[in-house]
Amino acid sequence: MPFFTEAPETVATAGSSLDQALVLALLALPLAGFGLTALVGRRMGDKAWAIAVPAIVLVWLAALYLIFQTLVAGAYGEAGLHFRLYEWIPAGDFTVEVDFGVDALTAVMLIVVTTVGMLVHVYSIGYMAHDPGRWRFFAYLNFFMFSMLLLVLADNFLLLFVAWELVGLSSYLLIGFWYRRRSAALAAKKAFIVNRAGDFGFGLGIMAIWTTVGTLDYSDVFQLLPAQVESGAIEGWQMTGICLLLFAGAIGKSAQFPLHVWLPDAMEGPTPVSALIHAATMVNAGVYLVARANPLFAQSPEALLVVALVGTFTCVMAAAIAFTQKDIKRVLAYSTLSQLGYMFMALGVGAFVPAIFHLVTHGFFKGLLFLGSGSVIHAVHEEQDMDRMGGLWRRIGITHVTMLIGSLAIAGIPPLAGFFSKDEILGESFKLGFGWVWAIGIIVAVMTALYMFRLMGKTFYGPSNVDPHTEPRIHESPISMTGPLMLLAVPSVLIGFALGWPPESGLIHQWLAPVFHPLEEALHHGAADYQLLGIDGFLLGASVAVSAVGMVVAWRLFGFLSTMAPRPALVASLTARLNGPYRISRDKWYFDDLNHLLFVRVGGAVARALWWFDVHVIDGAVNGVASLTQGTGHGLRQIQTGRVQNYALGIAGGLLVIAVGYLFIVAR
Amino acid sequence: MTQSLDAYLILASLLFTIGTFGFLARRNAIAMLMSIELMLNAVNLAIVAFGAYVPTLAEDGALIALFVMAVAAAEATVGLAIIIAIYRNRRTPLVDEYASMRE
Repeated sequence: MPFFTEAPETVATAGSSLDQALVLALLALPLAGFGLTALVGRRMGDKAWAIAVPAIVLVWLAALYLIFQTLVAGAYGEAGLHFRLYEWIPAGDFTVEVDFGVDALTAVMLIVVTTVGMLVHVYSIGYMAHDPGRWRFFAYLNFFMFSMLLLVLADNFLLLFVAWELVGLSSYLLIGFWYRRRSAALAAKKAFIVNRAGDFGFGLGIMAIWTTVGTLDYSDVFQLLPAQVESGAIEGWQMTGICLLLFAGAIGKSAQFPLHVWLPDAMEGPTPVSALIHAATMVNAGVYLVARANPLFAQSPEALLVVALVGTFTCVMAAAIAFTQKDIKRVLAYSTLSQLGYMFMALGVGAFVPAIFHLVTHGFFKGLLFLGSGSVIHAVHEEQDMDRMGGLWRRIGITHVTMLIGSLAIAGIPPLAGFFSKDEILGESFKLGFGWVWAIGIIVAVMTALYMFRLMGKTFYGPSNVDPHTEPRIHESPISMTGPLMLLAVPSVLIGFALGWPPESGLIHQWLAPVFHPLEEALHHGAADYQLLGIDGFLLGASVAVSAVGMVVAWRLFGFLSTMAPRPALVASLTARLNGPYRISRDKWYFDDLNHLLFVRVGGAVARALWWFDVHVIDGAVNGVASLTQGTGHGLRQIQTGRVQNYALGIAGGLLVIAVGYLFIVAR
Repeated sequence: MTQSLDAYLILASLLFTIGTFGFLARRNAIAMLMSIELMLNAVNLAIVAFGAYVPTLAEDGALIALFVMAVAAAEATVGLAIIIAIYRNRRTPLVDEYASMRE
């Protein structure tokens, strides 16, 4: 960077008060936007966005400066910018500070979070224009941005956990935004409760870290824990346990098997929410957590293997389900699960940089696809069933082109964004000796192309199946919605090339290398040179070829532009021939039914038994003691007559008993 | 039968029993006080009789009896004072109407 070598004072003022103030502004602006919109938004009517959206635009600008300083200018050095706001919990040996840190990993997360966040805010102006609760929507959306930024800026595990819960809360509020609709309220509860299961593990993991090393600060933990493993102070299985407990939190938040069931239902929320929270940012928190804790995972190959297994299974399972769903947003939701599976797969084999790379590219193109689906739903008047769409590509041109770009990107067609990141994941998993991961990844690549172009075909091509009443009123969305689509299409095309070329030594590798240095060291990666004409070229060709095959098959079945007509008869006969797999896929591999059986039926019966025990045995014992005392008192009260002579009779009787007793027992 | 300790003790127990019965059965507070006096005197009789018949006691029996008389006089004074105070309050000497000790 010759431009900046002229100004060495930028290094001297690393972490200046301006930079710290900007970090705080990243948090303060959305929080203020949330507070103000919540207070006065109701009176602002259809201008409810007027505080929330500018706040996020300012956040985006501040984030751009910080990203530039961290990644391009290198103003904070390799360790990044770290500072303390105040000491939060000073309790003897246990102290937790409100510390913030911006290093390369945080900066890369900031790129996705603030950019997609800003565009989704702008998009929501148009999308929510006719909703009477829009002030509530923008308040929640700002609150989410605050929580998510806190999540990536936090510099210790407890603060991370707080942010982790706050994003969960905003997710709950936004899924249940249309709370009068029963399905939305249920989906919100489902998301919250399923996440609890994962967060419980995460909480235990944090406690385990504290009892082991007595601190929760990232840099301390990442030095002390591996040191303890090396010195033999803690066993390998304890390290694996800590990693798996942290990973449990990641499974919940990133909706991996077996806690994946909440994400498809979360599509009950408004579409901008699906794009921002449930595709581009919050669901990546799990990937971020594992990546952040890479010095810990580096000590435990077993934990990494579990990560790889979970990721691989989710990847293939979700892709298989996506292929038969009828709701356009559900297809995208399962696609998100599948792509998150790719990321965990990459983390599991030790390819951390490709995982984060895929997180970035996926954040952009999946955000684009979701916002595009929102535009489609808007155009056909809140219809989400793809069987009631079709032939839309000439009617809503901008939405079609941008979604086509998104689909090509996710399918992994060069030179779009998804190609670079997916190819790196597949290539690295093969070269690191995980052939089976590579094979499954290749199969999922075919499936991805298939289900995405099935979605495109059913939505945009072939004859129109739109309701005749709404058919004449199909219209392209306003500029506030198509604008973000077009702006997201740009990174969906370019960011893969910009960050990932040349392969395995692109910008993203240069940025993130210091962050993942401990991991690389522990796993002893052989730094083999990239051979475009050797093994790497073959792997690259294979992944492109299978994606292209899947895409063309989908075109033949479901149509493409005006050149290929859909063949519903062929699809129907294939469905009939593959009836068994079709039904399993359509019914989502019966995970919801399994959960219903396990937790509602069996769990409910256990709960009822425990309830009976509580009411009859525990409460019975407590109430029994009380009523025994009361009864005894009641009985004894009868002899308290208030008449002197009755008491005197008692005294006389007592004396008589003593006297007789003395005569017959003692005096004898 | 004459000059026997048993005769005095039997008389004393009879007097004591009558006193006890009077104390427990009479409703009038004055009569109850009189019954107490009767019981005290029965005890006094027993003590004086022991003093006369048991050589080791000698004059001690008479001494204790005098003490008992003094205590009985004091007790009668206090008792009467209490009864008069209650009577002024309640306008009745009947103890079964003094039930305010209950509850």
